[in-house]
Parts: sequence; structure tokens; C-alpha cells
Amino acid sequence: MARQEKKKDVVIVGLGWTGSIAGIELAREGLDVLALERGHDQATVPDFKYPNQIDELKYGVRLKMMQKPSQQTLTVRRNAGETALPYRALGSFLPGNGVGGAGTHWNGLNWRPQPEELRLRSYVTENWGEEIIPEGMDLGDYPVTYDELEPFFTYFEKVAGIAGKAGNLNGQIQEGGNPFEGWRSEDYPMPPQKTTYDSAKFREACLAAGYHPFQAPAGIASTAYVNPYGMQMGPCNYCGFCERFGCYQYSKSSPQTTILDALKMMPNFEYRTESEVLRVEMAADGKTATGVTYWDEKAQEEVFQPADIVILSSYQLNNVHLMMLSGLGEIYNPLTGTGTLGKNYAYQMNGGVSMFFKDAEFNPFVGHGANGVAIDDFSVNQNDFGALGFIGGSYWRSGTFNGQPIRNMPLPRGTPSWGAGWKKGVGEWYGHAMSIGSHGSHMAYRNNHLDLDPTYTDRHGRPMMRMTFDWQDNDLRMNEYMKSQMEPLAASMNPDIMQSGFKGIGAHYDVRPYQTTHNTGGHSMSEAPQDGVVNKYSQTWKAHNVFAMGAGNFVQNTQYNPTGLLGGLAYHTVNAIRTQYLSNPRPLV
Amino acid sequence: MSHHPKYPNRRGFLKASAAGVALSGIASAATAQDAMPLPALEDYSPAYLKAEEWAFVMAATARLIPSEGDGPGALEARVPVFIDLQLAGDYGTADDWYMEGPHDANADFQLGWQSPLSPAQIYRAAIPAFDTWCTETYGVAFVRLDAAQQDEALTALQAGDVALDAELRDFFTILLANTKEGYFADPMYGGNHQMQAWSYIGFPGARAAYREWPERHNIKYPLGPVSINGERA
Amino acid sequence: MNTFLRIITGLVLLGIAGLLAFIFVPLQRSQPAQQLAADWQPAEGQGEYVMHASDCVACHTAEGGAPLAGGRPISSPMGTIWSTNITPDTQTGIGDWSLDDFRGAMIDGIAADGTHLYPAMPYENYRILSEEDIAALYHHLINNVEPVKNTVQETGLPFPFNLRWGIRAWNWLALRHGPGFAAAGTSELQDRGQYLVEGPGHCAACHSPRTDFMTQDGVQDGDKNFLSGGVIGGWNAPPLTGDNSAVANWSVAETADYLATGRNTHAGANGEMGLVVQHSLQYLTDEDNIAIASYLKGEDGEVIESAEFKSMPDAPANKAGEATAQMLTQASPDMDLGPRLYLDNCSGCHFVTGQGAPEIFPPLAGNPLVTGSEVKPLISIILNGADIPSTRKRPAHLVMQGYADRLDDAEVAELASFIRSAWGNNASSVSQSDVAGIRGQ
Repeated sequence: MARQEKKKDVVIVGLGWTGSIAGIELAREGLDVLALERGHDQATVPDFKYPNQIDELKYGVRLKMMQKPSQQTLTVRRNAGETALPYRALGSFLPGNGVGGAGTHWNGLNWRPQPEELRLRSYVTENWGEEIIPEGMDLGDYPVTYDELEPFFTYFEKVAGIAGKAGNLNGQIQEGGNPFEGWRSEDYPMPPQKTTYDSAKFREACLAAGYHPFQAPAGIASTAYVNPYGMQMGPCNYCGFCERFGCYQYSKSSPQTTILDALKMMPNFEYRTESEVLRVEMAADGKTATGVTYWDEKAQEEVFQPADIVILSSYQLNNVHLMMLSGLGEIYNPLTGTGTLGKNYAYQMNGGVSMFFKDAEFNPFVGHGANGVAIDDFSVNQNDFGALGFIGGSYWRSGTFNGQPIRNMPLPRGTPSWGAGWKKGVGEWYGHAMSIGSHGSHMAYRNNHLDLDPTYTDRHGRPMMRMTFDWQDNDLRMNEYMKSQMEPLAASMNPDIMQSGFKGIGAHYDVRPYQTTHNTGGHSMSEAPQDGVVNKYSQTWKAHNVFAMGAGNFVQNTQYNPTGLLGGLAYHTVNAIRTQYLSNPRPLV
Repeated sequence: MSHHPKYPNRRGFLKASAAGVALSGIASAATAQDAMPLPALEDYSPAYLKAEEWAFVMAATARLIPSEGDGPGALEARVPVFIDLQLAGDYGTADDWYMEGPHDANADFQLGWQSPLSPAQIYRAAIPAFDTWCTETYGVAFVRLDAAQQDEALTALQAGDVALDAELRDFFTILLANTKEGYFADPMYGGNHQMQAWSYIGFPGARAAYREWPERHNIKYPLGPVSINGERA
Repeated sequence: MNTFLRIITGLVLLGIAGLLAFIFVPLQRSQPAQQLAADWQPAEGQGEYVMHASDCVACHTAEGGAPLAGGRPISSPMGTIWSTNITPDTQTGIGDWSLDDFRGAMIDGIAADGTHLYPAMPYENYRILSEEDIAALYHHLINNVEPVKNTVQETGLPFPFNLRWGIRAWNWLALRHGPGFAAAGTSELQDRGQYLVEGPGHCAACHSPRTDFMTQDGVQDGDKNFLSGGVIGGWNAPPLTGDNSAVANWSVAETADYLATGRNTHAGANGEMGLVVQHSLQYLTDEDNIAIASYLKGEDGEVIESAEFKSMPDAPANKAGEATAQMLTQASPDMDLGPRLYLDNCSGCHFVTGQGAPEIFPPLAGNPLVTGSEVKPLISIILNGADIPSTRKRPAHLVMQGYADRLDDAEVAELASFIRSAWGNNASSVSQSDVAGIRGQ
């Protein structure tokens, strides 16, 4: 018999970015809020403190800030003909663990989607006709528009402390900003970051080529900063330990630096760590949830936590898994086309060019996760999909972000992987290489989806989730196009040696090398219940008192890092709960 | 105290036993913390590896990152100590990984680690298997081969030309990865002795504070590294 | 130690001289400064506000203990004094005290049973409280606070401080000022500030020097050494008046921010001051913190509506600091050990400029904590770190980690000496034995 705790107004599952946003906004509304967090508690000091955090082996290689597969993982196959096998050791993507979630160990790249990306199906059909949409692609519109989200993007950027330069202020193009971005009602709350040498070279080459370079928007403080909750960030010192690390400097935007201390002061907020939610409990009529059952690691027992509102804000993969195990939607079946839960799983299509300059000094350890100059000249709203033969786009960026030598040791092709030649190579080339990255969109497809695995179970005996995913030609064609455009630009910089790393047609998904922790979709938003799992307010179609937040809401993935969009959606959602739902709990659509 | 010689160029092969002792006299021991002399690699008592495994790791890492040429070799950097300690710890036992069955060790490489064995178990089983191959091929175990033969054997191992059970197929991959980790990780893990590998490539280690540097374009950062425990070089 | 001996000698002589009189003359409580109407009732929240302004919680709450239930050790030059339980528990607290009993403690340092309180209780300052505030505080403690049964440890001081009549002699020296408040009449705002500083805030307890008898040398506005700086437990409590005081160089708003949040562009509140902010000043109204700041600076300020968000660039090195900043920027392998240690350990947050960053990383250039006569604060912070508490307006709990494990005594001495002489700082160097002594504490 599960222990039962006192009922709360709101229970939040997962205290990362979206859980923290929901927590503070609903606690400020006066509600009694409880957050349940699977992992441990963590704060800047002692958990991320200098110098202990500056440990590439522990955090960069052994991944000690991440979800442990021994605790939670999933199985992966590339197609329905393959037997899915467990993702036993982390590689391709790195879900976070503990308070702050992936918001503690991200790079701080904070982008808004382009308005066109939120209505991509309409944009495509209006301009090129439905016929250019490839067979098997589930191209959709988000049920919420850029204009509706704009105030919430702006607010999230203020909370998260984003440094950058507006390129489009209320429709006016701004010199030095990104001219291809959606309109913004206000400039970024902090000025842009400094430009490292590689970024400066890239900027120069872009200007010469007629492109439109701008400083990448960074969730990395360029100045001392106080956000609307009174929370504070310190200016970044370019230590180069962002991705996979907590920030010792209070510089990286995270729930810790921007929300949690303010939230923890509120007497009507409580959080319990090492409390892993096992399922959402449904009322007898199946129309609402009654609360959640979680595993209390310390007490080693199951606990039922009743609540009026349940907010699912764990990592995208875990949200989808939890919803599958709780019956919060019908699991998608690509053969029959029935069900929506697990549909629209998407990822990111990336590539890049490395350039070696014998005589240049890049000091690659000087940088931050969102460092660099970017261009959007090849982004979604700049590409002629009809002529190019793909739907999508990418942003390009160049900037040192991590010079940690175990993982970041670019060597010219042909350098031996070991032996005297390797040693000579690392001595010769460390600090003399730079790169340009292409960070590209990824569409949703009928064959890329999530469901439950028939064989493998987790430590609680629950079926694992199964991912069926492989690269699709549309996105690979986009990648090849980027390669064809990027190589001449790189060559114009006259490197001594250059080499490309772009997946081409026929490439298959490899779970081993790190690619990106931008897993999206699975509980996607939709205009109507038959097309998705949640409505435009992240409210589940199945149970009106269950809200599912995060990148799981994405209809297809944008060309950008997902945090800006999921942050805006989270504020949009809590605003709807505050202003529409609380006074009259019901389906909002 | 204020002058720290750059990593000396060391040409010619340094025997492992001499290397630890010799270098501790050359590179400046900047702080009290690292003043304690470490045992020579020959006198080191492994925490996980058995004697013949230790000998293999010494010999193999000495070829993966040899001592000749500029920069420290794996032995000067005490990489074998690092590997031993890692295998004795939670990496060796794959504590963080999902290790439940069923296993399909023959699965496509792209599906990642599918061996039922942990890294430490793989070293244990793969070293004798590889030595069997070396004995069949050259008549003696790996440690008794000359450097050129060792390189040849390792090349065969990397290429998959050494028939190993499927569950051991990642052996070379982890051996090489662990060797490079031990070369470049913070010295508190036993390798990268006196931060020689960092000094060699110009990585400042755990300093992690460069606010005045992003706009100093094309100027080589001059200052040597500091470790997590505060050693300086 | 000399001071200590002087105090003992002084007190012993004084004790002998006044012995008979002090032993045999009956105790008398002062009369209230003002008579309240019989039906007087405090305004809603008034007593709680006085409690916060007077910082009762900080001393009367043990680490991890129930609020106001006492038991916190307070170290004094005379030994450790254990704070008392001031919850309304009738056996172990003040539940059966009358208002007159309570006033006696507040303004004369006399407990309900007629014994003398140890002067760790700042009745030198509380006697300046208005009768209304005393009555409101009494009302709050008796009626609104939950009684907690908690017997606190007896304070055991060595001779002669174990004799409470010795305190009586001390009181005779300390309580030269009558009960009640005398406004200087500068402006309504500054008068309010003066009241908060002199009375409930008891700022003089730390920020005025002490006489040889350990009484406060300056309790009220107009006293010669009032708030001219003190030393508490090896920490400088900086002067709050005079041209060289930090406050004189800060704007009224900046001082008010410091009081309310423990941080501003120039400084972070460490140690004892951090506790004062945490337990007391953060709960004052914006108007009252502005009043205090206005009084200290001698200039009326006003409450500034805070912006929705603030981006504050960090300052470049000032003229005196340029040479140090340039030397650190070069990052030459030939640099001395002190600056090398600074780059390896400190420059991440405090930067080569020594200016840190507004409201989050305190500047080291020209920082009185760095250059003070006492080296303990700097050494202690290098070894053990420091933190600025979470406050209502600035909830971020800002923590600097300590370096005790990373730096040995000689290294800390080199580093501290460098910091005390860099960017135009001109303070004495620190020795390895200074560090060893503080590490051992």
C-alpha cells in the first residue's frame, strides 16, 4: 500500500527549466505547489563550485551530471525491422539529472524560432504547394503563432538573462543584429558577448561574401545582471566549461541562477528530491488526473501524491514515457496511423567544417557555450525549398566553446589516431584549428517515433520506452546543401587545411558519438485532439488538469536550439493556467 | 617558485622505470601538495590490474603514446596508473550504465555498447585473448615484442584483424580512449603527471578564467597550467 | 591581550572601589520615557516590525533551533554568552514577564528576577527605543509568538565577569544616557534614520569603538566616536561616518540596497553583517532603509522604483589599478607567485581589474575588508569562503567557495599580500603564521 501525502494544488514532475517556471509562476499565484524531482538537489556552491567543476574527465567524459542509464534509459532501433537495444551508455544525447535538469549543463544557446517555423506546413503549401512535401513527412503547423508567443519569448529572455543584439525591433531591421529573425518587442536584456578570434575571422569572411553576421544570442551573462525575480548572474569569464558542466560563475542561465532561490523562499512551495514519478493516476472517469505516484528513494517506497493540477516538466523522453505508462493518450502506431503519443519525434541535423591555420592562435579554451558569430542566411525563411529540393534550413556559427583536450582535439584528416604521429599532431595543431557549425532543422516523419519496448524493463519493472529513429533524405539533402555552401566560405578564409563533417545521403543514426540533446516531439501540440497530445496551452487532450511542457510539445524541430521556444511555450502555458484555467478548470480548447 | 620551465623536449626513448623519477626532478614541484615523490611505475601496486595485465597496459600505452619526440609519452604521464585507477572505480564496473540483459554483443556498432561485460571485465578477458593472438602470430606475448611488432599488433587489433569474441570487440576502442583520457585528465586521477601533457599542448588546465582574453586576437596565451588541486607548471 | 588585561584590571579596580555601594544599593528600573494611554494598542504588525528592526532573531535563535527560543552562543572578550529564550514559555521563556519587566530588560539590562543581563544584550542601544516600540515588541513576543520550551545553557564566565554585580558597575559606566530618543532634527527622514540606527538597529554595538571597559565609545549622534568603526572578533566593523567611510562614497540608494539585500555595486555583506541583513534589515520597508542611508550620509535620498531587470557592466580598472590589471592581463609565466595565485584562484570572479562585478562579485581594489587593519577577514574568506544570504529583494544566495584545501599557508600569505598591495591598495603584507593562526581557528 502506497504512502499517501497531503494533497497539493499543483504537483510538478521534474524541476528543470519548465518545472521551475511553472513552480514560481503558480506559487506567486498563491497556489500550494510541490515539485517532485527524480535526481538530487544541486546548487552553484557546492555542487558546481570552482575548481572542482573544472574537471573534464568527471563531467565531460564520465558525464557525472547526467541521467544514469542504470537508473533510466530507453531502447533504440533505426527502423521497424531492427531489434531495439538499450541505450546502455550515454552517447548521442545527454538528458540531465537532478534539480535544474538539462538547464544546468546546456551551452546557453537561446534562440527564438522563426515565425515561419511555427506555421511551416502553411508556409510550404502557400509558397510551393503541398506536392513538395515528401512522402512520410508529417509536416505541421504549431497551434500557436509567433505573434501570440512573442511576449512570452521576451519575458523568458528577461528571466533567463539572454545577451544579444536585436535584428528586428518591431519590424525595424537593426544594424548588427540578425535581420532574418522574427520581430521582437524589445531588445535583449543584456548586450552581446565579446568576439573571439575565430568568430572575428568568420565575421569578416561572411561580410565579404555578402552574408549578415551577428553575435549569437547567449544565455551567458555579458554583464552583471538582475532578472525580474531579483535573481542574479555574474559576467562570464570565458572559462570554456559550459556544456556538460554546471557554471561556477553564476554566469550561465539556469534554473539555479535565474529562478530557484527565489522560488525556494516561498512558503507555499515545496520540493522533494530523489522522488521519481512512476505514473500519473487517473480518476475513474478517465477525464482528469488525481495526482501522481512516485518512488521515494530515501524511504524506498511508493508514495501517492494527490493534486488538483499535474504538470509534467521532466525531460522530453521521460515526459513521453511517463504519459505512455499513465495512459495519457493513445500510443502512435505508424502502421495504422492511429494514436498520437510518441509521434513527431524529431532531432537535429548538424554538420560543420574544420579549418587549420598553422600560424593562428585561437586559444580554444577561451570561450563559452554560446560563443560566436552566427549567420541566418541559410535559415528556414531564406531557403527556396522548391528549388533546393528539401524543406528546412540551418544557422551557422563559429566560436570557441570548449578547448578541453580529451574531447576537443581536432586534427587534420590523415593524422594517425595513436602513436608518434598522433602525439606530434596534438602538439602541432592544438590551438590552431577553428570550425564553423551548421545547426539544422529536423522534420517529423511517420517512421521516427517513440513507443514501449516489448523486451526491456527499467528498475521499477516498467517497460522501457523504445525509440525508432533514422536520418531521412530530406534533412540529409539539407545538410549536403549546407556543405556545398559552407566549404567555399571556409576556403575563402585561406586555411592551411580544411575538412568537412556532414552526414550525407545513406547515413544511419549512430548512438555513440555525441550529437545533440535536442530530442523533441512525442507529446506534440495540435489544433485538434486527433493530431497531437496537447493543445496550444500544453494541456493534454486526455485530461484537462494535466499539462505537459517542454520540447515534447514541438510539432517538428526547428533549426535552432530548443530552449528559447520551450521557455516561451512554458510562460504561455502558465499564463493560460493563471488567467483562464484556475477560475474555471476545463479543457481550454 | 615563480619560474616554471616549459616542458623539456625529451628525445629518445625513456624507460618507464626511469621516467617517473627523472621527471619529478626536472619539472618544478610548485606546491607543497605535489612534493611527495610518487613510486616509479615499476614499483606501483595496481588497484585493479594483475601483474601481467599491468605489464600489458604499460607496454601498450607506451606504443599508443610513445615517449620519443616532443611531449611526454604515456609512461612519463603515468597513464597506466590512471587506467588502473579508472578500472578499479565506477567506470571499470560500468556503474552508471544499463547492464541488464538480454545482450546482443553482435549488434551493429552504431547501436552502441552491447557487451554484457564492463570495461574492467573486458580488459581482464581481452588482454589474454590478444596475447594468445600475439603468441600465435609472433611466438611471444605482446610485452615481449619489439616496438615495431607491438605497433603492428595494435594496428591489427584496431582494424579488427584480431579475432576476439564479440563481447570483447570494443577493447581497442576503450584502451585507446582511456589512454588519451589519462594523458589529458586532471593529474588527480593519476595520469597527466605534473600536467606535462597540458604544458605540451598549451592547455591551461583548471584555471578557467579568461575574461581579458577573448579580444586578444591571435596572441598565444602564455601562462602554464594549474590543476584542480593547485599544482602549477 | 593587552586590552584584555587592561579591562580586567580596570574592572577589578572599579569593582573594589564601588563594591559596597553596588552590592547593597537596591536595583532600580528607569521610568518609561513616555506614558502611553491605558487603552494603547500597537498597530497591526508593529511589534513584529520592531522585532525585525532590532534583530532579535539573530541572537535569540540557535543554529537550527526554534526562532527566539535562545541558546545561541555569542562569543565576547569575556567568554561565551548563551542567548536566552524570549518566547512566551512561562518556565523557560518570558511568558510571565510584565511589560515593566520587559522594559527593564530593554532599557536597564535587568531581568524580571532582578538579576543583571550580560551586556551582549545591547540595552545600551535599546534604551533609546520609544515606549511605543517597546510596548509593541512586548505585545508581539507575548501574544504572537508560539511558546517554546527550551532551557538554554547557563552562561559561565570566568572571574570577575561571573559576578553580576560587576555588570552593575559596568552599567554605571555604559548607561550614561537616559532612556528615549533625542532627534537631531536634521530632517524628518534623517531623524527616522537616526532613530533606527541608534535604537533598534544598535549599529553602535559594532560600528563604534569600545572603551577600555568595553562599553560603546559613542552611542548617540553627537558622541565623538559614534560609528567611527570598531573591531569585532578580529573583523573590522568599518566606520559609518566620516569622509573615509564607505557610506560617504556610496549614494543613499546604494547604501539602502546594501542594507536591504546585503549587496550593492561596491560590497557584499559578510559574516556578522550578513546575519544582520538576513535577520533584520531585509524586512525593513524601503523607506526605512533609505532613512538609515540618508542619516548616515547626511543627505536625504528617496526610494527609487526598481527596474524590471538590470544589466550592469563591470568597471574597467581605475587609474590606480591599471598597472596591476595590465600585468595580470599579460599572464606572463615569469610573474611572481602572488599574482600567479590570483590568476589561478581569484581572477575568475574578481577579474584582473580587481573591480569584480556590480552586486555579485565584490571589488577588491579599495575594499576596506581587503585593506583593513585586521587581516583576519581577508584570510578567513580566502580559506573558508563567504556568502551573501538570500533576501527578499535579492533571493540569490551568493556563495564564494573557500580555498583551504587548494592553498597552503605560504600560498595564502603570498596571495593575500598581493591583494592587499595590488591596484593601488596599500596595506601591510600577511605572513604565513597569520594564516596558520586563522586556519587553526
